[in-house]
Amino acid sequence: MSNRRRIKVLISVIGLDGHSTGAEIVSRFLMDAGMEVVYLGIYQTPEMIVSAAIQETVDVIGISSHASNYEQIGLLIDLMKKDNLNDIPVICGGTIPKQYAEVLIKKGVSKIFPPQSTSESIINYIVSSVKR
Amino acid sequence: MKRETDYGYEIKPVYTPKDIENLDYAKDVGDPGSYPFVRGYHLNGYRNRVWTRRMTAGLGSSRRTNELLKQYREMGQTQGILVICDRPSAMPIDSDHPVGRREAGVLGWPASSLLEFEELMDGIPLTGQSITLLGSSAMSSIRLAYIVALAEKRGIDLKEVHGSVTEYPFCHTFGQTDNLPLDLNIKLWLDSSEYIVRNKMHMRSGILSQHLQESGGNNAQALAIEMAMLKELLGLLVNERGLDFDDLALLPYELVSIGSRFFEEIAKVRALRRMYAKMAKETFKAKSDKACQLLIAVHTSGRTMTYQQPLNNIARCAIQTLAGAIAGCTAIDNACLDNAHAEPSVFAARMSLNTQHIVSDETGVTDVTDPLAGSYFVEYLTNNVEAEAYKILQQIEDQGGMIAAVKKGYVQNMVKESARQKQKEIESGERLIVGVNELTIPPEEDDDIPIQAVEASDSEEIAKRMETWKKTRNLPLLKEKMAQLYADAKKDDTHTLMPSIIEAVKAYGTGGEIMGVIRKASGFHYDPLEIIDCPFDL
Amino acid sequence: MVNSVVKKIVNGDVRVAAKLIRDIDDGTPGTREILKALYGHTGNAYIIGITGAPGVGKSTVADQMVHALRKNGKTVGVLAVDPTSPLSGGAILGDRIRMQRHSLDEGVFIRSLATRGQFGGLTQSTRSAIDVVDAMGKDYIIVETVGVGQDEIDIAKSAHTTVIVVVPGMGDNIQAIKAGIFEVGDIFVINKSDRPDAEKTLNDLKAMIDITRKKFKKEGWEPPILMAEAVSNKGIVELLNEIEKHRKNRKALSRESIIRHKKAIARFELIDMIKSRLVEEALNHIINSLEFKKYLDCIMDGTKDPYSACDELLSAKLNFLEDENTE
Repeated sequence: MSNRRRIKVLISVIGLDGHSTGAEIVSRFLMDAGMEVVYLGIYQTPEMIVSAAIQETVDVIGISSHASNYEQIGLLIDLMKKDNLNDIPVICGGTIPKQYAEVLIKKGVSKIFPPQSTSESIINYIVSSVKR
Repeated sequence: MKRETDYGYEIKPVYTPKDIENLDYAKDVGDPGSYPFVRGYHLNGYRNRVWTRRMTAGLGSSRRTNELLKQYREMGQTQGILVICDRPSAMPIDSDHPVGRREAGVLGWPASSLLEFEELMDGIPLTGQSITLLGSSAMSSIRLAYIVALAEKRGIDLKEVHGSVTEYPFCHTFGQTDNLPLDLNIKLWLDSSEYIVRNKMHMRSGILSQHLQESGGNNAQALAIEMAMLKELLGLLVNERGLDFDDLALLPYELVSIGSRFFEEIAKVRALRRMYAKMAKETFKAKSDKACQLLIAVHTSGRTMTYQQPLNNIARCAIQTLAGAIAGCTAIDNACLDNAHAEPSVFAARMSLNTQHIVSDETGVTDVTDPLAGSYFVEYLTNNVEAEAYKILQQIEDQGGMIAAVKKGYVQNMVKESARQKQKEIESGERLIVGVNELTIPPEEDDDIPIQAVEASDSEEIAKRMETWKKTRNLPLLKEKMAQLYADAKKDDTHTLMPSIIEAVKAYGTGGEIMGVIRKASGFHYDPLEIIDCPFDL
Repeated sequence: MVNSVVKKIVNGDVRVAAKLIRDIDDGTPGTREILKALYGHTGNAYIIGITGAPGVGKSTVADQMVHALRKNGKTVGVLAVDPTSPLSGGAILGDRIRMQRHSLDEGVFIRSLATRGQFGGLTQSTRSAIDVVDAMGKDYIIVETVGVGQDEIDIAKSAHTTVIVVVPGMGDNIQAIKAGIFEVGDIFVINKSDRPDAEKTLNDLKAMIDITRKKFKKEGWEPPILMAEAVSNKGIVELLNEIEKHRKNRKALSRESIIRHKKAIARFELIDMIKSRLVEEALNHIINSLEFKKYLDCIMDGTKDPYSACDELLSAKLNFLEDENTE
């Protein structure tokens, strides 16, 4: 019966960033890998993402950040802590400089995927983090 | 390794005279300055004027951006300024909007009011250099109004100001932050363009293929979509607004993305010139040579700037800058080596400007116009990409033209498919990228480059300032101008809103307010994010 | 334990309700007990099904309906169903995008579901999800599905009012649209009605509806056809009015007619529930057995044909099929 279980991922762009191409590509290959992707698109505030994550009981949250205000991602982590959602790993993909990556990891982001990360690496990470 | 152009043409190992034996120089190529302008628009090319070497600026408050611009001037950027707007003001929502305030002044200049523009231009001449403000279509007419208002304040004849502050209405289609419904964007674009043409301003409107290529579109698509946009938009100005095509000569400008595949990129720009010239003559019956010429600026591709080993990007940028220079263009702006990391650091900005100067001053490229003309390969490629582009253009026409095709999602899907294809090619190794899928090094050993801090600390300050400043304006005057704008916006589409927008801007109405009122008059919510309500009684 | 879960859901606890829906979807043990206990708390919500081909604007219509209902002070649950890819088993659940402006509204609960049509599980999981949201106390539940398969039309049978959304230009394809759509549609909406062909589509639809009604000798409620431009919020108020009319019409039916109708639905739902449970358990039982592997090998080396393999497997694993006099 539990072979029915599908990994559910929430993919969103954050803040006023309008670059959705990366997020759409990721959503597509996650679907091809057998996952259910709740794709939120653009103009999502951290509050909206948290609300959707709760209503959709997702396993992982993936934020696509193309030259974003990293504060937004930090705010998202803070909100999740407040709402006791720490068991949902947050991963980020996109153009995030090394030192911000380190700050975000310290804050609680589980993993950062730099540009040109392969679909395989992202899929494998999600699968392994859900298994835990 | 794939030996194909990015639109799928398989490249041969050698090209010979046979490959271009049907090429008629006089008819198909022409000298620089002669129809069909493949070789460029000026016989003396860069000897007359070197391309404008410039850098994108826009970081933090208007004061900070102002300082940055002055800094760039000292680093050699004297022919023009290029400022990009922050995301809130591109939508537009104001810096004091509950969501906007988080990103005010982040990754761009907070363009929300005339006050901000005045601060941006403090001590910077409005004339004698090109003024380019980028940041999506929605704010275009307001940015134009800023120019008009500031010129008036400084007692400058509008005709003396040149550059570009308006952008094409399809920005949002290709992933930019723009939140006006398409039809409204188109109407406002027509209004601002009509204003420019009727007032004989030397301000150009950006109708860009850069965005779609940065979103993954290939070269043939870039040409086709660019031509489809030009055809439809210029056609509307002629048919709906009663303008003469020859008077439109000074209006459009194109920003082409230049990638690393050297020869294909050069061929693309050459083909573009010929396609535009043909369209001007055959479709629009242009009478003057000038009306057959499209102002082309070049943007070296941000998409190609890798996250890994960013210093490699200096080499890429140099190759792309050289390609842009050889292709022939009026200005080049570079994506910097740290494009995949952050906004340009001073180090990266200097690197880019130096690269441009090395290319212009050390390589001899400015000595000769269109030096690769006659190359069997390059002429073949020029013909080839043009032929492929016409096929795609026909498909767009079959959908009913660019606007219809965009509404159906046809164009967007085409570009998305191309993006996926490109991604696949990199993952499979069919296309090699040094540092990414070959010659990779572990992250710990990667280059240490200075990273420009994302100053979000400015945001709250900018937001608060706007909040308090709003209350200090001449509110009765503002209300009057907003009421006028609202009334005008309710009239039919051909009634231009520029006069009332200019009046509202002069009364210090903000971007969010002006666009909000226009949205409201058109039956949409005042706020694109539907969080705040219209503060005016309308 | 069950009681505390039930209590929380009845009090509108989003997290608990969402988790239950997930557990039902995943087939986690223990959900049946909760569903049994919840059942008594259902029956209050008015269920609206919205179906139509991909791209007609169902999500936009749903979004505007939520907006209007909220303005009237009603609480809403939305279940947005998207197709599972038959190749990968994954899905992109993108309907929520159109409705995200309501994500911070406590009176709105939005949930995306994938069809996962493996053992006819679609209707079962979604129906249970409807029950959960009903128990949460929502006034209205909008179930949005893609109307291209049989399952999606089945969803319509669980709805009180079924809305079919089409767009102009589908004219030539109206004939091709599943006939079932015209039987189950209570209200038809032509969205994007600013497009050319809207008139023609209206006439085509009218014709199809008339034919269907004559064919099945339907009386009473005549499905209206509405014009809408959901993106500009046009036609939505009219749609909600028609839904209210339909609701009143249902109430006004004779008592026998209501009971007959309810019984038919209850029968259908029970059969469906049995079907999905039965198929899943029986199939698992058979597929995971040694005999199955043995028969598969026999087919591969040519010593058994698939027909015989099937018959022999079934009579070996399921005793009651030996008796050919079953109904």
